[in-house]
Amino acid sequence: MKGPNTAYRKNFSLIVAFLVLVSVTLIVVLIVAYRFTAQNVNNDFAAKKNDVADQIISPYNYFSRSKIREITNYSGSLDSALAANYADSIFHDFNFVTKIVFYQIVVGNRLSGRAKGNNLGISVKATYQYYPNKRKVKGSKNENEINKNDFSQMADKLSDYITAYDTSRGPGQEEQGTFYNTRPGKISYLNVPNNEGLKTYHELQQSGRTTSLYKQNMMTFYLDPHKITFKNIHPELYQKISVRQINYDPIDIDPDKTITNEVAFPGALSDYKLYFSSPRDYLTAEINRRFMPIGGIILLVYFFFILIGWLIYRNLNVNLKLFKLQYDFINNFTHEFKTPVSVIKIAGSNLKGDNELTDRQRKHYGRILDEEADKLNELMNKLLSFTQLENKSIQINKDKIDIDHFVKGYINTFKIKYPDFKLSYNINNVNFFYTDEVLLGSIFQNLVENAYKYSHPEKKELFINITLEKRNIIFSFIDKGIGVPKNELNNIFKKFYRLENQYNQNGSVGLGLAFCKELVNFMDGEISVKSKVDKGSEFVVTFPYEN
Amino acid sequence: MVGRLKTLILIFITVALYACKDKGANEIPVSDFFNTPEKSYFKISPDGKYISYLKKYKKRQNIFIQSLEDGKERMATAYADFPVRDYSWAFDDQIIFSINLPNDKYLMYVLDVKTLQKKPLLSEEKVRVRVLNKSRQTPDIITIAMNKRDSAKSDVYRLNIKNGELKTYLLNPGNIKDWFVDADGSIRLAKSSDGINESILYRANDKMPFKAIIQNNFKNSVIPIGFTGKKNYFYALSNVDRDRTEFVEINAENTKEERVIYANDKADIQRVDYVRSKHRLELAAWDEAKPKKHFLDAAIKAIYDDLDKQINGSESNIAGRDTAEINIIDRDTAENKFIVTTYNDRSRGAVYLYERLGGKLTKLADNSTINPAELCAMQPIHYIASDGITNINGYLTLPLGVNKTNLPVIVMPHDGPFGGRNSWGYNADVQFLASRGFAVLQVNYRGSSGYGKKFLNAGFREVGGKVQQDITDGVNWLIANKIANAKKIAIYGRGFGGFSALYGVSFNPKMYNCAIVQDGLINFFSYINTIPDFYKSSLQKMYLQRMYEMIGDPSNKKDNNNLIDISPVFHPDKIKVPVIIFQDRLDLQANILALEDYVRDLRKRKVQVIYKKYEKARTTAEIDSMRVDRYTQIEKFLDNNMRVKH
Repeated sequence: MKGPNTAYRKNFSLIVAFLVLVSVTLIVVLIVAYRFTAQNVNNDFAAKKNDVADQIISPYNYFSRSKIREITNYSGSLDSALAANYADSIFHDFNFVTKIVFYQIVVGNRLSGRAKGNNLGISVKATYQYYPNKRKVKGSKNENEINKNDFSQMADKLSDYITAYDTSRGPGQEEQGTFYNTRPGKISYLNVPNNEGLKTYHELQQSGRTTSLYKQNMMTFYLDPHKITFKNIHPELYQKISVRQINYDPIDIDPDKTITNEVAFPGALSDYKLYFSSPRDYLTAEINRRFMPIGGIILLVYFFFILIGWLIYRNLNVNLKLFKLQYDFINNFTHEFKTPVSVIKIAGSNLKGDNELTDRQRKHYGRILDEEADKLNELMNKLLSFTQLENKSIQINKDKIDIDHFVKGYINTFKIKYPDFKLSYNINNVNFFYTDEVLLGSIFQNLVENAYKYSHPEKKELFINITLEKRNIIFSFIDKGIGVPKNELNNIFKKFYRLENQYNQNGSVGLGLAFCKELVNFMDGEISVKSKVDKGSEFVVTFPYEN
Repeated sequence: MVGRLKTLILIFITVALYACKDKGANEIPVSDFFNTPEKSYFKISPDGKYISYLKKYKKRQNIFIQSLEDGKERMATAYADFPVRDYSWAFDDQIIFSINLPNDKYLMYVLDVKTLQKKPLLSEEKVRVRVLNKSRQTPDIITIAMNKRDSAKSDVYRLNIKNGELKTYLLNPGNIKDWFVDADGSIRLAKSSDGINESILYRANDKMPFKAIIQNNFKNSVIPIGFTGKKNYFYALSNVDRDRTEFVEINAENTKEERVIYANDKADIQRVDYVRSKHRLELAAWDEAKPKKHFLDAAIKAIYDDLDKQINGSESNIAGRDTAEINIIDRDTAENKFIVTTYNDRSRGAVYLYERLGGKLTKLADNSTINPAELCAMQPIHYIASDGITNINGYLTLPLGVNKTNLPVIVMPHDGPFGGRNSWGYNADVQFLASRGFAVLQVNYRGSSGYGKKFLNAGFREVGGKVQQDITDGVNWLIANKIANAKKIAIYGRGFGGFSALYGVSFNPKMYNCAIVQDGLINFFSYINTIPDFYKSSLQKMYLQRMYEMIGDPSNKKDNNNLIDISPVFHPDKIKVPVIIFQDRLDLQANILALEDYVRDLRKRKVQVIYKKYEKARTTAEIDSMRVDRYTQIEKFLDNNMRVKH
C-alpha cells in the first residue's frame, strides 16, 4: 500500500504548488496591468492634447498658408468692393478672424510715397476695415496709427527684399515669408508680385526713373482664438479644456488633486494656449474603466488554468483507482491460486511419503488432485476468456438452441454439484433461440453460481424465468440471497469488485458479473439488476429475439 | 494541322514585327529634332564678293566669312565665352555686329573684312539697339534706334562707323513705338501709341515737327512700309475701314488712301517686299492654308519662277513630295547674287546662293538633319465651330503609317491669346510628336491673327469661353471624323497655350488624358497687370484699359468673377488628370511662388504633377540640351499617360 500513497501525496503537493504559483502570478499580473493602465492614461493625458489642439491649429494653418495667399492671385487688383467679397469669404470660413484691414498700396518712385534711403516709394492709397456682421461686412475708410505701423513694417520688409532681389536668379524657394508679417493677434500679408513686378521694383529702386505706379494689396487679419470652436474629443481624459492667455497659470490649483497640461498655439495665435485640466479622481475613474476589461481577461485566463489543473488532477485520480484495482486483482488471484496449489502440494507430499497407501487413500488423493487441477484450469479459463472478451478476439457462433433442453441441462448439473440448491424454472411462449451456446452457457453458469454463492445456506433458491416480450427474449434470475445494497448496485458489474461479506471468502475473484456484462454487451444484449438487501436479487438479461 | 501551324507562325512573325516597331528601332532620336543648324544667319556682302554666316566656334556662334572668288572660309570673330547675336553688312566691306555680355552689357563692333580687325563702336549697359538704316550715299553713317536715355524710350541716333561718333538724330517724346526710315536715312514717318490708340506721325522734312496724320484704336492698324517716291505717298498695310489687312498707298498730306495695291479676300496681307532705294515693289505675301505670294515686279517673279523650277523641279531631297517655300533673304547691291532659303512642312530646308546671270544655284547649307521622308505631312484643316457659323482653321499632322483612324491625339493650342497663329511650315515640336505616333492638332482659334480683324476681335473677352470652345470643337471634330481615339487625347501648350491646356483639363476633364504646360499662364489678374517694358510710363493706364477690353476688367464685379472663374490658379480642385509643368524661373509673366503653391495644392489633392523649373539658357548648346531634356520628359510622360483614359 506504500506505492499509491506516495503517489497520492506527491500529487497533492504539486497541486498546492501549482495553485500557489498561479495565484501569485495572478496577483502580480493584476498589479502590473493596473500600473500599466495608469501610466497609459497619464501618457494619453499628455499626448492626446495635440488631437484637440489640431482642431484649432489645422484651420489656422490652412488659413495662414493657403487661404491668405489667394491675395497674390489677384495681383494687386483688389479694390474696396472686391476686398469686401474676399473678406466675406474669410469671415464665413474662418470664424476666428475678427477684423480685416485692407490696404491699397501704390509702388512708384520716391516722390510718390514713403521711401527709406532708396528710390522705391511705397505708399498707402486707401485703407478699409471689415468686420463680420451676420455674414455681411461693413467697410470703412480708416487711417490710424496701428494700421500705419502695420503697413510700415511690411513696406520695410518689401523694400529689403527688393534690395536683395537678384533679377538674374528669380525668387528662391523659401521666400513666401517676406510677404508675411505675423505678430501675436494679427497676421499681415502682401501679394507677391510676379517676376516682372519684382524686376521692375528692383530696377525702380536702383534708378528711380519712372512715373509709373504699381498696385499692391495688403491685408491684416486680426485673430481671436477664443472664437474658435472646438470639441473635446477626449472627454474621458480632459474634464475641462479652455483657450487661455499664454501666461495663465492659476495658483489655487492643487497639483496633487488636479493635473493640467497645455498646448501653445503657433504664429499669430501665439499669445494663447489651449489649457487642459482634470482632477486626479477623474483620471482614476478612467484608469478603472480601462482596467476593467483587462482585469476580466486576466481572471478568465486564471480560471482557465485552474480548470486545466482540475482536469489533470481528476485524471491522476482515475489512474490511481485503476492502479488500486489491479493491485486487488493480483492479491485475489494469488489467493485463489494459492488454495488449490497448497492442496495439491499436501496431496503430493502425502503420496511421496514412506507409508504404504491404501487403495482408498490413493483414490482419495487422486480425486483431490483431479479436483484441484480442475479448479486451476477453470480459473485460468476464466481469466483467459475475459481477456479475450475484452479484446474482442472471440467470435459468435450462432446455433439453434432448444431453450428447455438447454436450461434443464444446467439445472441438472448444478443440482448434482450443489445438492442443497433449490432450482426451478419457467419458460413462456418461446422454444428456440439462435445464439452462441457456449457464451450463453457462461452467462448461465456465472449467474447461477453467483445466486448460490450469495445466498444464506438455508435459503439457497433460484427461479429462472424466460419470457418473450415484444422483440426481446428476457432471462430473469431471481434468487432469495443476501441482495445488494442500493449504493453498490452500480459497482457490481465493475471488474474485480466484490461485496465485502462472508460469502465470497473463497473461490471468487470479483470477475463474474463484470464478465457477464461484457458477454451480454458483446452479444448485443443488456443486463440489469434489481435487488433488496436480505430479500434477494433479480438479474435480468435481455437479448434481441430474431426469428 | 500544317495550316494551323502556318497561321501560328504568321501570327508570331506579325507580333514580332509589331514589337520591333513599337520598340522604336527606327525611332528618330529626340536630339535630331532640336539641334540648331551648323550654319545660320547667311548674308551676302553689298559688293557680292563674300558670304557670311554664324557658325559655332567652341560652342559659341561666331561670324565666318567665305569669299565667293576663291571659296575660302575665314573665321572673323573668335568669342569663346559669348555668342555673336546679330550682325549686318555695312558698305565698304565692313560688318557691324553686337554681343550681349551676361551682365547685360551691350557691345557693338565694326569689323573690317579685309584685315579682320575689329573696332568698338558702342559699349552700353542694358540697352536695346536696332540698326534702322545703312545708306549707299553715306556709307560711314548708320542710323540706329537705342533706348540708352530711358529704357522705355527708343531714340534715333546717327553712328559713324569710322570713328564711333554718336549723334542724336531724334528724341523720343515717350510714346513713339516705331520709326520708319527712308532710303537716305531720314525719318519722316513714326508710329506712336498710348496703349489704346495708335497714331501715324508724319513730317514733310527734317525741319518740320511731326504731326499725327492717322489715329486708330488698337483694333485697327496701319503699318507704314515706305515712301513711294512719288509726292508724299507711302505704302502701308492697313485694315482701317475693312476687315482684312490690305496693301495700300496713302497720301501723307491729306491721309487719303490713294489706292489698294493688293488685297486678298482670304487673309490679311502680312508682308510686302519693297526695295526703298529703288522704289520698287516686289511682292506681297500672306498665309492662307499655306503661304502665298503675289508678285508685283516681273523681274523678281522671273527669279522666283526660276528658283521654283530649279528647287521644286529637281531637288527632291529638300522638297520631298511637297513643294518648298522659297524666300530671298538677302542680295548684293547690284542684284546679281541672292541668298535664298527654302522650307516646307517636313524639312527645315536649305540655304542657297543664286546667281541671276546664268541662273546658277549653289547650296550653301542643308538644315534638314532628318530625312523628310521620315517626317509627317502637315495638312490644313477647317471645321465649323459649335456656334454653327464660325469657320475655324487649323493644321493636322498625322503620323506616318497606313492607319489614319483612331489615333492618339495631342492638341497644341498656340500662345497668344491675340495675334498669334499657327502657319504651315516646319515645326520641330509637331514633327517630334508625330514621329512618336501622335496625331497633332493645331487650332487657329478665334483671336488668332491673319484671318481679318473681325476674327481677331471675336476672341476678345472670350478667353476661357469661345476661344477654348474652338479648341474643344477641334478635338470633337477629330473624334467625329474617327481620326482621334477619344480615349487618348492630350493637350500641350506654352504661355497662353499652357493656360488652354490647364483650363482644358480643369473644365473638360473627360476629354483629356493629361496636360503638358510650359510657362503656362495660370492667372489672368497677373497677366493683365503685367505691363510690358514699353508701357512703363504714363501710358500704363491706357495699356490696362486695352487689357480690360481684351480680357476683362478686374474692377468690374462681373468681369472680376469671370477672371476668377477662368484662372486655373483659383481651381486646383478641378484637375484630376496628370499634369507636367515646365517653368522658366525668370519668365516675367510667372509668379514662381504662386505657381509652386498651386503645384503643392494639386499634389495635396493627389493629382500627379511633375514640376520642372529650369534656368534660362544662355547658349544655343544649352537651349538644345534643355529642349532635348524637356522632350525626353514629355515623351516619357505621354508614354505613361496616353495608354488608357483614366
